[in-house]
Amino acid sequence: MRDAWRPDTMAIAGIGSTDFSKASGRSTLTLAAQAALAALADAGLDPKDVDGIVRCDMDTVAPVALGDALGVENLTYWGDVGPGGSAPAAMVAQAAAAVAAGLASTVVVFRSINGRSGERYGAGYAQGARAGGSSTYEEMFLPYGMQTPGQYFAMVARRHMADHGTTSETLGRIATACRKHANANPAAQMHHRTMTLDDYHASRALATPLRLFDFCLETDGACAVVVTSAERARDLRQPPALIRSAAQSGGADAQPGQMFPALMRDSITTWSSRALGEVLFRRGGMTPQDVDVAQIYDCFTITALIQLEDLGFCGAGEAKDFIQDGTLEVGGALPMNTSGGHLSEGYIHGMNHVVEAVRQIRGTSTNQVPGAEVSLVTSAPTTGGSALLLVGA
Amino acid sequence: MTEQRVLPLTTDHDTAPFWAAAAEERLVVQHCDDCDLPIHLPRGVCPRCHGERTSWREVRGAGRLHSWTVVEHQVHPGHPTPYTSVLVELEDLPSVRFLGSLPGRLDLEIDQPMTVRFERVGDTTLPQWEPVSS
Repeated sequence: MRDAWRPDTMAIAGIGSTDFSKASGRSTLTLAAQAALAALADAGLDPKDVDGIVRCDMDTVAPVALGDALGVENLTYWGDVGPGGSAPAAMVAQAAAAVAAGLASTVVVFRSINGRSGERYGAGYAQGARAGGSSTYEEMFLPYGMQTPGQYFAMVARRHMADHGTTSETLGRIATACRKHANANPAAQMHHRTMTLDDYHASRALATPLRLFDFCLETDGACAVVVTSAERARDLRQPPALIRSAAQSGGADAQPGQMFPALMRDSITTWSSRALGEVLFRRGGMTPQDVDVAQIYDCFTITALIQLEDLGFCGAGEAKDFIQDGTLEVGGALPMNTSGGHLSEGYIHGMNHVVEAVRQIRGTSTNQVPGAEVSLVTSAPTTGGSALLLVGA
Repeated sequence: MTEQRVLPLTTDHDTAPFWAAAAEERLVVQHCDDCDLPIHLPRGVCPRCHGERTSWREVRGAGRLHSWTVVEHQVHPGHPTPYTSVLVELEDLPSVRFLGSLPGRLDLEIDQPMTVRFERVGDTTLPQWEPVSS
């Protein structure tokens, strides 16, 4: 079946972020409004002209509520896209689809989260004496101490190590590359804290084989982007980041529920990101070799490692050979998570990755890849994920 | 007083028969009556042939260790660390996997033989998995 996707017809015209912290001291609605206003100002757009808002289904800020906070005249389109981390690239895609269909002209896409001072995902999903039901299948996992994302990804990492000889050193190279990028990014929470491979190995085990520095930073903050047509974006304040390709994929053998049931996949060390990559690159008429810079969803180091294999930057099980000193840094084969990523900038649930992917196209990253023309961003892959390929106008 | 550990909801439409069998110390897996597929995780419609007639068959409680993690960072008061969560696949049906948890830090190897054991907690019975003692 031929894709009807039309590359380069839609664009990201504005980007905005709040500060990233452990305690924002303000509501998710206030954070969302600040990020959205920053993105609209960046694009040179009047907030009252926003007619669409797209969010993920884990956000506590309703689209109409954010529209009200922005003082929009009439919000005529909104949508929820899937679970948290898997959503951001797909949120941009849904906004683009709405503009293409004529349902909206100026769409704010946002994620707002008090992930450290409010609801901490690292605190686990167990609430109350009985777990599960309602098609979550959590009754098959939570009673067995499988209660947090980190514990799930630890299971995956262990199996990857057993099957492929992956070592903690490879995971450590992902962590230290992200940290090095954060050290050059004043907005990153780990801006002032360096990390060597020895520091990585010295960090305490949380769920073996994963340790503290394999885990992302629970964060308070918000990010937003403005999606509009490429034609209109060309007349706005910033150089547009054109959407060369956009894709969502659940892949085969996705399993019901969310995250933990992915332990029932035939292979627990490959995800929907494999099928996602095929669709993404086909729609864009590109291959992984065309990518100049990548923002790879990194709730954990292993999450990024497996995506590199699934997306085709190296073969299955070959990440340990692909990721050498410097591979993922500016000047390396695949500069990755150039703002510091979830591991060292902050965890805005995939949305700060979209913002950084746009900066790379504009040439304004604090770790700018010289001459970057093709910018990849992915959103969480475990039980269905999404991705974008962005290019300059 | 120690905090209550997390117990499963045993009344879900799709998984209740699994827990009912566990209460009788039987390990069961849902199968499609029409195409014989083991349906795990269980559900009302077969994902292969779309048949809606299913039955729960007792299976042998012999498995192999697919993966594990030693949890060192405690998040729930009823689950004191360290403990070891194990992911076990059935010897006879490798596509079917179950979780288990054991106190302490276990020294384990991928693919090592595991066996089921039934643990009673109040009025709930949990199938658990432990290494086959050599």
